[in-house]
Amino acid sequence: MLADWRRLLTTALLLLSPLPALADGVLRVLAWPGYADADVVKEFEQRTNSKVEVTIVESDADLWRKLNEDNGANFDIFAVNTAELQRYIHQGLVTEINTAAIPNLTRQLPRFRQRQGIPGLVHGGKTYAIPYTYSEMGLIYDRKQIPVAPDSITALWDKRYQGKIIAYNGGVHSFSLAAQVLALPSPFHIGEQQWPAAVAQLIALRRNASAFYTGPAESVALFKERRAALMFANFGSQQLQLLKAANVDVGYAIPREGALAWLDCWAISRGVRDMPLATRWINYVLDDMPGRVLLQRQGLANTTSPSPYFKNTARIVWLEPAESEERRDKLWGRILAGDRAGKVLQP
Amino acid sequence: MKYGIAVKLALLLAAVGICASALTGAYSYGVSRSLLVESSQQSLVAATQVLGRRVDTSLEEIARNLQVLANHPSVRRTLKQPDPQMNAQLAELFELMMQANPAYFQIRLISADNFGLEQVRVDRLGPSFINVPEADLQEKGHFSYVSETLQLPSGTVYMSRITINHERGVYTGAERPSMQLAMPVRDTDGKALGVVVINLDVDGMFALLATDLPLDFRLFLANGQGDILIHPDHSKTFGFDRGRRVLLQDEFAATRSLVTGATSQVVFQQPTTDGLLQPVVMAFVRQPLKLRSEEGQLYVGLAQPLSSVREGARHLGLLIMISVLGFGLLGLLGTLFLARLVLRPLRQLIAAANLFGRGQEIGYLPLDRQDEIGELARSFQQMQRQIGEQLGSLHASQEQLKQMAQYDALTELPNRRMLQDRLDLAIARARRHGGCAAVLFIDLDNFKDINDGWGHDAGDAVLVAVAQRLRLSVRDTDTVARLGGDEFVVLLDGPDTERDAALIAGKLIDCLSPGIPFQGGTLRVAASIGISIFPQHGITAPQLLMAADRAMYSVKANGRGGFGFAVLQD
Repeated sequence: MLADWRRLLTTALLLLSPLPALADGVLRVLAWPGYADADVVKEFEQRTNSKVEVTIVESDADLWRKLNEDNGANFDIFAVNTAELQRYIHQGLVTEINTAAIPNLTRQLPRFRQRQGIPGLVHGGKTYAIPYTYSEMGLIYDRKQIPVAPDSITALWDKRYQGKIIAYNGGVHSFSLAAQVLALPSPFHIGEQQWPAAVAQLIALRRNASAFYTGPAESVALFKERRAALMFANFGSQQLQLLKAANVDVGYAIPREGALAWLDCWAISRGVRDMPLATRWINYVLDDMPGRVLLQRQGLANTTSPSPYFKNTARIVWLEPAESEERRDKLWGRILAGDRAGKVLQP
Repeated sequence: MKYGIAVKLALLLAAVGICASALTGAYSYGVSRSLLVESSQQSLVAATQVLGRRVDTSLEEIARNLQVLANHPSVRRTLKQPDPQMNAQLAELFELMMQANPAYFQIRLISADNFGLEQVRVDRLGPSFINVPEADLQEKGHFSYVSETLQLPSGTVYMSRITINHERGVYTGAERPSMQLAMPVRDTDGKALGVVVINLDVDGMFALLATDLPLDFRLFLANGQGDILIHPDHSKTFGFDRGRRVLLQDEFAATRSLVTGATSQVVFQQPTTDGLLQPVVMAFVRQPLKLRSEEGQLYVGLAQPLSSVREGARHLGLLIMISVLGFGLLGLLGTLFLARLVLRPLRQLIAAANLFGRGQEIGYLPLDRQDEIGELARSFQQMQRQIGEQLGSLHASQEQLKQMAQYDALTELPNRRMLQDRLDLAIARARRHGGCAAVLFIDLDNFKDINDGWGHDAGDAVLVAVAQRLRLSVRDTDTVARLGGDEFVVLLDGPDTERDAALIAGKLIDCLSPGIPFQGGTLRVAASIGISIFPQHGITAPQLLMAADRAMYSVKANGRGGFGFAVLQD
């Protein structure tokens, strides 16, 4: 009899106790523009009774810097492309993902489910990243100024468009472009002898460019303000979508050298505080709603449905780890600051 | 201590007065305090507006400096035909200008040719300046402050957004909040030759602008979108640069109307938040910029600790409290005095009542007052008169009763009871002074015959006449009493010998011998007298009376009309 009463009382207390006390974790997300929009975050916060702190990153160099601060202790989860991911794995900045805790992985298309088949995701049987979105980095052009779609990335160096070029402020990708123009065997491997040529190529790009952007929104603003003719689309279809939304008549071209392409994944920082919450985030973004936001609002592919943006037929060069991201970033910093070749190549 | 009604009344009046003045004080404190807070809020808004205008003015001043440089003949000449000597001179000029303007990080002359190659560049390096050598000069054509400025008409200023300066190759000001102001240099035919660029130290400029503000004031700045640029908590500044925007409208909800454009200034109280150690009053104003700018406008704010706003109010509160207390004390003294004044007639009445109670003359009464006290005095007088009259009649009836109790109604002589008292007194006196007292017991011999023969009226006339004669025959100090019927007793107080008593007895017998006239005839009466002397014949009143009574009977038995002494006791 007494036990019955006690059980009843416990039940009553449980019913009365406020629910938010059950989960009040904080998730610190480091993401690219459009990966964690306010409504997507809010939905997650409501579902998990957590608080999400989103930090937006707009370049690989910035991402690397932020994750290295305090050995990754400042973030739980972050989005990174497969090529960049490798240096995080080598540096021990990421931690293994418990895929069993992510039921939504079954929603992914077969080629993303087979993570062993995607270079760099799995090391020694441990999964370090879950694919999220991808795009090639093509050329966006103003149809009025360039009536015929450019078929080569050399168009960025075309003197006809001097002061009408908008390029991306990122060291690793810029050198890959230079390597492609120089027709090096791999855009991700610049030999010791080839650096002066690559630097010269990028100084030439700088001299031809009107401005360099970091974020997609900034690129769109610059494209409009400067009445640009051509833009290197680091964010690919995302920028195209934004420009179309801004009523700019643009075309999108995949150059014959091949468009560099990235596959961004979610990885968990070694400094993760709430692993279950981080895992729930990955599971959540593979849900229907976040996938739709990515596809429709951001113009980006998701991994759970076929992409209307990504052309399988086009020549795609998936990003690979560069010979030295640090060196590329250092030299690029000098180039961007306006240094001339001699100064850029100084040790 | 006894608290009179005056004190109580005074305290009551003073309490009421103090309450009233305290309430007035509290109310006026409340009103004045909100007025003070309001006025200091207004002056904070005014200070913020002044600061905002100063920002605009400072930017215009920079524009004038740019104008001076852009129109300098040497600038145009060296842009057309680079001349190291002229560049050196220009560097000196830049240096002078930077000396005069401590918020300038850097001044540069950039050519339109050579992809925006810097031609002259002077950087601040601590307290000194560095004229950057030719090899370190950079091409800046892809930066907005060059590409956009080159598009501007002559004399127009380009103003960049306020950002953290990540530009590599900068000496001072790298990774610091800064902005670029630039002006195109155009040839006489309008051809753009280059630009003059000033790199501005934003924190430095605002620190200079805020130098004459009180020390406890805090400065805030946000850009056109509301991104916080200056905040006492540095972690809240330039959030966009770190990938996490911190917006004014999110930090201070009251500024939302400002950012949406609904108002041009706001003032509000802000409880303690990060970076603000105490509650503050904050004012924000929208400052439109006259210069062409990517920002368009800035939001300038000032925070003043609420405690300093309230300081004046506290001072005022103290003053009000002191005056309430001071005037309360004065009021208390005043009411004490007034109460005494008001109560004086009451006191007079009390004194009169006290005197009246003791049966004394009541003295002055405020009878002629026309107020309640006068009425009370008159009522009191009336009452006193009535009581006096009633007391008088009471005394009279008391006297009568006493008379009836102690005197014989017919003869008006003391009766047995009073005789008893007097005898006791006489015995007591005799005992004390060693004197003596004599009791003469008188009985009329033929009174029964008169009564029977002549009627009761004759008997009464005889008794009255006998009483009168007996009375006339003794001294005033002696007592003649009627015991009842035809028995009388004379108490002689003070005779020291039996002879005195015998003398008086003889005198008494003699005074009856003429007879008593009655209805034209004469009634003959005689008396037998028994005498007892204290202490010989008895030491108590009954003993003496009985001894005298016995002696009287002996006389009566022996024959009529004589007297005899009591037999001595053993």
